Amino acid sequence: MKKPLLFLCAVLCAAACTKDLEPSMDILLEGNKVDVSGYSDVCRKLFVLNEGGMGSNNATLDMLRFPGGSYVTGAFRKMNPEVAGGLGDVGNDIAVNGDELWIVVNNSGLVEVISAVDETEIAAIQVPTPRNIAFDDKYAYVTSWSGAYVSGTYDDKWGYIITGSSNPKGQVYRIDLNTKKVDGSVEVGWQPEGIAFYNGKLYVANSGGISSQLPPAYSYDNTLSIIDAAGFKVERTVEVAVNLKNVWSDGNGAIYVSSLGNYWDVHTGMYVLLADDPSKIALVGSGTAIKPEALHVSCSCVADGAVYCIGTEDEFNWNVAHSYYVWSCKIDDYASGKCTISLYPQTLSGTPYGMTVLPGPKHYLILGDAGDYFNPGTVSCRALDFNDGETFWSVTAGVCPGHFAIW
Amino acid sequence: MLWLCLICSGLCQQVPDTLSAARVSSVRDIPLLRPAEEIRGGLDSGQIIHLAEAVSRFTGIQVKDYGGLGGLKTINVRSLGSEHVGVFIDGIQIDNAQNMQVDLGRLSVESLSSLALYNNQKSVRLQTAKEYVTGASLHLTSSEPSADRTRLRLRGGSFGTVNPALQWEKRIGDLSVRASAEYLASKGDYNYPWFDTTLVRENGDIRSMRLESQLFGALKRGEWRLRLYGYNSERGFPGPVIRRASGFPFSAERQADRDLFVQGAWIYDWTSRYSSAIRFKYANNYTHYATHPEKNPMAIPYDLHYLQQSAYLSLAQSFTVSDYLAVDLSSDLQGNTLDSDSGQGVAPSRLGICTALAARFNLERFRIAAHLAYMGAYDSYADAHAGPWSKEDAWRDAWIPAASLCWTPFEWLEMDVSAKRSYRLPSFNDLYYSLMGNSALEPESALQTAADLFLRTSRGSWTLEARLSPYYNRVSDKIVAIPTSSQFRWTMLNIGLADIAGIDLKGSASYASGPISSCFSIRYSFQRALDHSTPGSVSYGNQLPYIPMHSASADFSVSWRKWTFVWNSQFSGEKWSRSANTADYHIDPWTISDAALTRDFHISRISEQACIKISLRLANLFDRHYQIVQGYPMPGRSFLMGVDFSF
Repeated sequence: MKKPLLFLCAVLCAAACTKDLEPSMDILLEGNKVDVSGYSDVCRKLFVLNEGGMGSNNATLDMLRFPGGSYVTGAFRKMNPEVAGGLGDVGNDIAVNGDELWIVVNNSGLVEVISAVDETEIAAIQVPTPRNIAFDDKYAYVTSWSGAYVSGTYDDKWGYIITGSSNPKGQVYRIDLNTKKVDGSVEVGWQPEGIAFYNGKLYVANSGGISSQLPPAYSYDNTLSIIDAAGFKVERTVEVAVNLKNVWSDGNGAIYVSSLGNYWDVHTGMYVLLADDPSKIALVGSGTAIKPEALHVSCSCVADGAVYCIGTEDEFNWNVAHSYYVWSCKIDDYASGKCTISLYPQTLSGTPYGMTVLPGPKHYLILGDAGDYFNPGTVSCRALDFNDGETFWSVTAGVCPGHFAIW
Repeated sequence: MLWLCLICSGLCQQVPDTLSAARVSSVRDIPLLRPAEEIRGGLDSGQIIHLAEAVSRFTGIQVKDYGGLGGLKTINVRSLGSEHVGVFIDGIQIDNAQNMQVDLGRLSVESLSSLALYNNQKSVRLQTAKEYVTGASLHLTSSEPSADRTRLRLRGGSFGTVNPALQWEKRIGDLSVRASAEYLASKGDYNYPWFDTTLVRENGDIRSMRLESQLFGALKRGEWRLRLYGYNSERGFPGPVIRRASGFPFSAERQADRDLFVQGAWIYDWTSRYSSAIRFKYANNYTHYATHPEKNPMAIPYDLHYLQQSAYLSLAQSFTVSDYLAVDLSSDLQGNTLDSDSGQGVAPSRLGICTALAARFNLERFRIAAHLAYMGAYDSYADAHAGPWSKEDAWRDAWIPAASLCWTPFEWLEMDVSAKRSYRLPSFNDLYYSLMGNSALEPESALQTAADLFLRTSRGSWTLEARLSPYYNRVSDKIVAIPTSSQFRWTMLNIGLADIAGIDLKGSASYASGPISSCFSIRYSFQRALDHSTPGSVSYGNQLPYIPMHSASADFSVSWRKWTFVWNSQFSGEKWSRSANTADYHIDPWTISDAALTRDFHISRISEQACIKISLRLANLFDRHYQIVQGYPMPGRSFLMGVDFSF
């Protein structure tokens, strides 16, 4: 949930950019030089969150500094050597709010707030199993699986007898931006993931990722919870599709929700609904010349009022190297929901894990590739809608580079 | 004698059973290849709590240890992967179709007469077919009671460790009986450093109980054996040490196990030329694993139950053609089933066959052994929640050839070369479980080539030995978990390739004269284990995870009258926890030293064999803090005291 913010922060940035940069300690950090000529003025820093592997305590923060183009790995640990354990275990989301960078560290149970100026720690806030983050002007909102569980025993025929379940649904925690303290929570659906803020409302994707693995139901959630931010209450719950993942706001009234499918027979897809009437939900591509079957979603982001996705055909074939395509969707008419779908010339290989698109007149695609998910992956930059998708640079990042934020 | 000393003596006192005996004994009984490491006798001396400790100093072995007495301990021989290492008790494999790994922490070394590691091939008569097909193998041989004896033992030490045991042995004519019981409890609450503070390992406790009885019977021209085994344990998994918000435990995971097996063997020499052996086993293993999210809100909720059963039948036949040639034919049949509530209700089963035809030639100074084995398995499953697995790929098979040549040009010199190609089947986990099964997997293959040079000489009270063993292994079609088009769904593929070249060196000197006996031995391993899976990837051409390039150990023992003192130091060089050999995944080298002292007291007033043995062992003497597996700290200095009373 970093891109909806882009717009928010683009606004905030505009204010911030005019003031002089304070001298930053992190200028001493050395990194790999990359060529950012042509777009070094669109932002000051690109932050990359490498998730790491669960139990390996190897979430790391990388940073690409503009101008100059220096890609620094492990910036959090380098700037905060006194924080025992570094960034922690499994980074799950990252977002800029003003001059602060908020990092959600899932398996450490922490939301880490650092300075976007020099990556020094401001606060570490305890939230159980935090997943994704969004902001309004007073609060940060963090989705949480919140200790969901079902316990039970098995009879001698391997039938499951539930003996207890506690708080099986997830929560959205609210954190005060000034005090950096948790200020209440609200219950949403099963294992909430993505969250976006638009016009006084929070949109929360419920995945049911754990419910699907647990008896008795073995089923995913398929709902989007809409929370009124002022009252901090769930106002409405709408059904979208199974196993929802990301939620993006395009900043103008469209809310995009991605579904991961069920990995067997339901494919991935991107759904769109209009904030004015959330009951009307459409699968992107349906009713157009480009069929939804050609618009799968392995990862996605939002930039300049459009949602960008990387997908692959033949999602249920686990035995071949996949090739990936890039597409985008932009709403043309918010009354009718009419949109333009673009397919780009790139064919990507490897294992695309996370993406962002730099704002500006030309769109640059920043792609995180997870490699084998165990060893450090790569971050690369390539042309999106110009130069036939030419690759400009590629650097070694941390393990599973999956989340980006622009400052 | 103490256990460290035994490891020493494995080298020092490896009686000339293969060197000079080669010419006096018949082709029937000789193992054609010397085991890479062997400990004979005295394994019940009381200083080893579990098998992993006993084998950790062997050359070419990496023990993966998650720390504490409850932590999983598996071995990897010459970087083949722990799935390629077979562990055999009296010739019958301890198998685990679910994950193909044997936890050495659960195996006791008491009542063993020998412990032998073979890097590729063991060639003795009347082996089970499975003994021919594993890449490397660890063989545990039970000792037969030699006299009536009762043993009471109490051990205890650091971290709340209590370990009483009772053993009773009896001989009745041609029959001998051993019954034993052992209880182990440990809190596992050791300290470890976490940046500038010291934390205590939590949820690392274990309680276990082992009950066992063995029967040994002599026949007119043969023998039979029966073993009943029961093991029950309940333990916590302390989990990796990670950054954690205060108030959240690292782990509340618990596992309870109940293992039962019965196995037996009947071995008979029909004539002086033809012998046969029938062996069987039935095993029933139940596991309950739960993450207890009610105690740890950060846990992914799992509450899983597994029941594995296996039935095994083996017929081995040996025919001695002449003084120079013997031929063996062994056939095994095995069924495995796994019931569980994970894996979306899939209950897989496997029916496997294994046949080996082996020949051994003994031409005075030359000995040759060769075999060809065939292994096949048919998998099927009952599915409650059907997944898209096809039955087309249910049959897997492989041919396993091996050959070795051994030459003894002089009394003091022995040389051998050997080559083998072996396969390991995909486990049930690989095929069906953890949301990442792939039923199209092929067996993983290992090519092993090795040579040995062995020297031994005795002068007066001194015995000197040296061994030099270069080797090259290639593991191909390695089963590796990789992500698919979805980040949330992984699969297993046969894409790994590893090239492993190394050399093991051992040398020892022992001295025995009057009341003094002493032994010094030193071991060194160099190992280059390279990941050659994906050209161009960040891991290509780098050292495999957890394999040190250099490792070494030194043992010293001295006995004088009723005292024995043993010292051991073990060094493990730098290594990485990923095949991306970067600073983030670097594991520092470590050196650990242990020392032990024992005193025997004979009490002739009670009986001639009555004896009290008191021992004290200090492990990790210099309190080094180290990790074998990244994120899993090992205990610092600890002691173990034991009193052993036998009569």
